[in-house]
Amino acid sequence: MDTSQLLKGVLDLAVLAVLRKEDGYGYDVLRRLRQGGLDGVGDASVYGTLRRLYHAGLLTSYVVPSEEGPHRKYYSLNEPGRERLLESGKTWKSFARTLDDLLGEGA
Amino acid sequence: MSTQTNTEVKHYLDAMRDALSDLPAAEVAEIMDDAGAHVVEVADEMGDEFSAAALIDRLGTPRAYAEELRVAAGYPSPTSPTATGDRPTILARFALWSMLAATVMAFGFAITRGDMEEAAFLTALCAAAATVLVFRHNGLMAEIAKLSETVAIKDALARVEKSDIGKAFASLRPFQPLWWIGRALLIGAGGVLVYRPDLMFLVALALAAVSLLAGPKAKTDRRWLWISLPATGFALGVLLVILGTLANRYDGYPVSSSPVSYNPAPQTHDNIYVFDKDGKPLTDVHLYDEEGRPLNAPWYGCDGDSRSDNRFPRPKVVHDEQGCHEEPGVPFTVVMPTVPTTTTTAPITSTTAQPQATGTPSLAPTTTVTTTPVVTPTG
Repeated sequence: MDTSQLLKGVLDLAVLAVLRKEDGYGYDVLRRLRQGGLDGVGDASVYGTLRRLYHAGLLTSYVVPSEEGPHRKYYSLNEPGRERLLESGKTWKSFARTLDDLLGEGA
Repeated sequence: MSTQTNTEVKHYLDAMRDALSDLPAAEVAEIMDDAGAHVVEVADEMGDEFSAAALIDRLGTPRAYAEELRVAAGYPSPTSPTATGDRPTILARFALWSMLAATVMAFGFAITRGDMEEAAFLTALCAAAATVLVFRHNGLMAEIAKLSETVAIKDALARVEKSDIGKAFASLRPFQPLWWIGRALLIGAGGVLVYRPDLMFLVALALAAVSLLAGPKAKTDRRWLWISLPATGFALGVLLVILGTLANRYDGYPVSSSPVSYNPAPQTHDNIYVFDKDGKPLTDVHLYDEEGRPLNAPWYGCDGDSRSDNRFPRPKVVHDEQGCHEEPGVPFTVVMPTVPTTTTTAPITSTTAQPQATGTPSLAPTTTVTTTPVVTPTG
């Protein structure tokens, strides 16, 4: 099964999750996702998702000037973002359990 | 980063910015802050292995990158990226003007009862092509909305909407479904009344059905205006024909032979007074035309309701301090001429009383007016 299709539905949750402990700029977020095992995630998809979550009021952003290279825009989880993460996390866990049960021993 | 790398990255970023150019400038700037920095960083990481091809291999083409970002961010997709050059503008202009021409032509075709057949046929063809175009070309409505004439028309409509007339029209909006039904009936009636029951009749019936559908659709989908507006033009034309025919009938003009439907209604009389040969006024006279049809005409009494009958003279409606009341009788006398051939000359009238309440205002009270003799038809 193509994981990129699965990823589409849960990329929001994954991005919120990797920003929970520490703020990060776009490339940071991308690296953390890849390190976490989501190899198939597209660069542009992550940046697009960050913009969408930012417009939805779940993230705040601030710019940190960098000595080498361009300045970096950091994103951090705000209160609505944390609430959404909690909520979506519960939904995901219950969904994953349901699917596990459905698959049973077969998979 | 080398100068060479710099140029390649700049090209990549420019192409990306270009692919996002339909978004608000502030948002594009934000994206370029994020994703632009990312591209630079990726290029830096490549170090000596950097090349434009390697960058595209890693990130995809700038357009693909922009598209992926757009989808993930939930931005609207770009408006018909293939719409380049002047072709859509020409098509949009053709569609708009065909529709307007069809509306005017449908109106003209209806009120002239099918004259100008060739011109009408040509316009109908253009309008049909335009309708097919707007329904099949997805981006065309956006192109039409961008035309300078569309903007001007919209501005003018907005001004009218703010005026008193516009407000009066807005208050009629709840009755719009009634108009849609009325319009379909008028178009159907156009087929029956105005033309012989041949092909035109079938076309009119089909159009009536389509116009019934187009009314409510056009409220949410502007493309249906291409059907709705010409239908309105035709229906208004038919309405005028019917009203003109009715007006002619009341005035006792032959209806069937009148080729042109809408004449300005001939001078109507508010009242008719009848005198016998001795100058004695006759009351409660009932008038009929040559085929025995009563010459009914509407009139308004004090109750404000329109009544329609053929009894003359009507009572005079007087408004004064006591309110409104109807005065029967004849407000003037006539002196019959003593010429023996009374059938060929009209009586000389002299007004001796007040003018009629609803009469010609130029007639001053108590002046004696001598009218020029008029030859009356002898039969």
